[in-house]
Amino acid sequence: MCFSNLLRLYKPPSTETNPTLEDPTPDYMNLLGMIFSMCGLMLKLKWCAWIAVYCSFISFANSRSSEDTKQMMSSFMLSISAVVMSYLQNPQPMSPPW
Amino acid sequence: MRSLRLFLIPTLLLLLALPVSRGRYNDDFDDGEDLADDNDFAEFEDMNDDPVAETETMPPPRVSFPSQVDDEEDEDEATVELEDGQDGFEDSETQDQDIFSKYDQEEFEGIGDMEKTIHSMKDPLIIHQVPAHLQNNWESYYMEILMVTGLLAYIMNYIIGKNKNSRLAHAWFNSHRELLESNFALVGDDGTSKEAVSTGKLNQENEHIYNLWCSGRVCCEGMLIQLKFLKRQDLLNVLARMMRPACDQVQIKVTLNDEDMDTFVFAVGTKKAMARLQKEMQDLSEFCGDKPKSGAKYGLPDSLAILSEMGEVTDGVMDNKMVHYITNHADKIESIHFSDQFSGPKIMQEEGQPLKLPETKKTLLFTFNVPGMGNTSPKDMDTLLPLMNMVIYSIDKVKKLRLNREGKQKADRNRARVEENFLKQTHAQRQEAAQTRREEKKRAEKERIMNEEDPERQRRLEEAAQRREQKKIEKKQMKMKQIKVKAM
Repeated sequence: MCFSNLLRLYKPPSTETNPTLEDPTPDYMNLLGMIFSMCGLMLKLKWCAWIAVYCSFISFANSRSSEDTKQMMSSFMLSISAVVMSYLQNPQPMSPPW
Repeated sequence: MRSLRLFLIPTLLLLLALPVSRGRYNDDFDDGEDLADDNDFAEFEDMNDDPVAETETMPPPRVSFPSQVDDEEDEDEATVELEDGQDGFEDSETQDQDIFSKYDQEEFEGIGDMEKTIHSMKDPLIIHQVPAHLQNNWESYYMEILMVTGLLAYIMNYIIGKNKNSRLAHAWFNSHRELLESNFALVGDDGTSKEAVSTGKLNQENEHIYNLWCSGRVCCEGMLIQLKFLKRQDLLNVLARMMRPACDQVQIKVTLNDEDMDTFVFAVGTKKAMARLQKEMQDLSEFCGDKPKSGAKYGLPDSLAILSEMGEVTDGVMDNKMVHYITNHADKIESIHFSDQFSGPKIMQEEGQPLKLPETKKTLLFTFNVPGMGNTSPKDMDTLLPLMNMVIYSIDKVKKLRLNREGKQKADRNRARVEENFLKQTHAQRQEAAQTRREEKKRAEKERIMNEEDPERQRRLEEAAQRREQKKIEKKQMKMKQIKVKAM
């Protein structure tokens, strides 16, 4: 019989000792999203606001389940508000860079 | 009526002859030609009191009337000239010039001005474009539509990718459940409950990483299985994988008790993986300094390489059954790493070396590639079952594997050497740390003395501290003397 009475409970590995193992993508994307949102709002650039929306989506897709949903939602809401504000201030359609 | 008209026309012409000479063409009156075209005598019907205005409006009909007559001729001429490749517009200009040249210069003054006005009439009208947002035209918002379409595509890919990963994970678990439940008392634990109760399901860390903790088996403390799938839920990653294919991986980490494993470090896997691990892993870089050897010597495929602390370890691990397992599933094996000194990858510290040796744990690590190179189906998960059998076999094998006396001595020497090297490198730093600790102690004591309210006690504490200092200094002096005597 290979069972043992000594059972060890699962201990989630501490990420402080191994920061390299953690995927930094969701954090970077979150930060980028916020920066682009602020640029879109302050400089009234529509393309910045759209990129911010994309960044927040990417951050959400790559996020860990243990991560705080509040931060994700706040980043998402900020990017949506950046898009809406850009269009309210200037309803003209976005012109392509070419 | 007809005769009346015939009489009126010459009289009008005579009347017009006078004003033409001193007439000024009013630039604001743009639709003079239009009016003239519709009704030559419209101005006379809507007679204003201002005769000057009338005279000013005279010239346009005067000009257009003959041009109308000439138009028919012009058309014929225009077509002719068009065949020659000239623009019709230019033709009318030249025609106008011809018209003016017909008029007697003595009778008519200011013809030149009229030329200018005719030309200015012919300046192109600038029609400003209506701003796009005022147009009822969705086509002008094509960039926005593109963006929204992109977002929808991302969301669709997220849902599809997440579901696929979930299906693959559950397919793996269903095929391995029986084997795991027959070997481990605890299968599945998410770390939240205080009691050791099997959850019996995978622990989802991410949309692409699933964990499973198994415990309760002889010869090992526990086993953590990580299903590291590709990020199918992230469209960017999917596009990146089109350039650089990658495959799903299953990582198994078995932690052993101290008595379950002898002291050795060993690894086998693909050549690329071995080269990478030798650089990255703390224990492999310290104990397996030689280059990875080809696995062909031990009956393994050429694509695999071996890193070992000593030859005896390789001979002990690579028995027939192990070789059989590895050879049959060589395409799925990325790396197998047995170590009693496992402490993870090398930690790059900013301030030189860490002061303490990193904590080590007796560990067996297995990394398997799921077949399919990204295009995995749930059926492919069944092909990983023999590899789980190999893992179970390895746990039992490592428990039984014991080095002989020579091997043990060599292993102990290696470990001592590594520790010594580490201590030498960190000597200076440890001295500094000790110095700072001593200074901290002194300061704390001084503070205690200062804070003492009772002056008598303060004096006594001070005296005691001074005596201790004195003793230390005397001790040091004695040591120095002894060293000098010895040297002599």
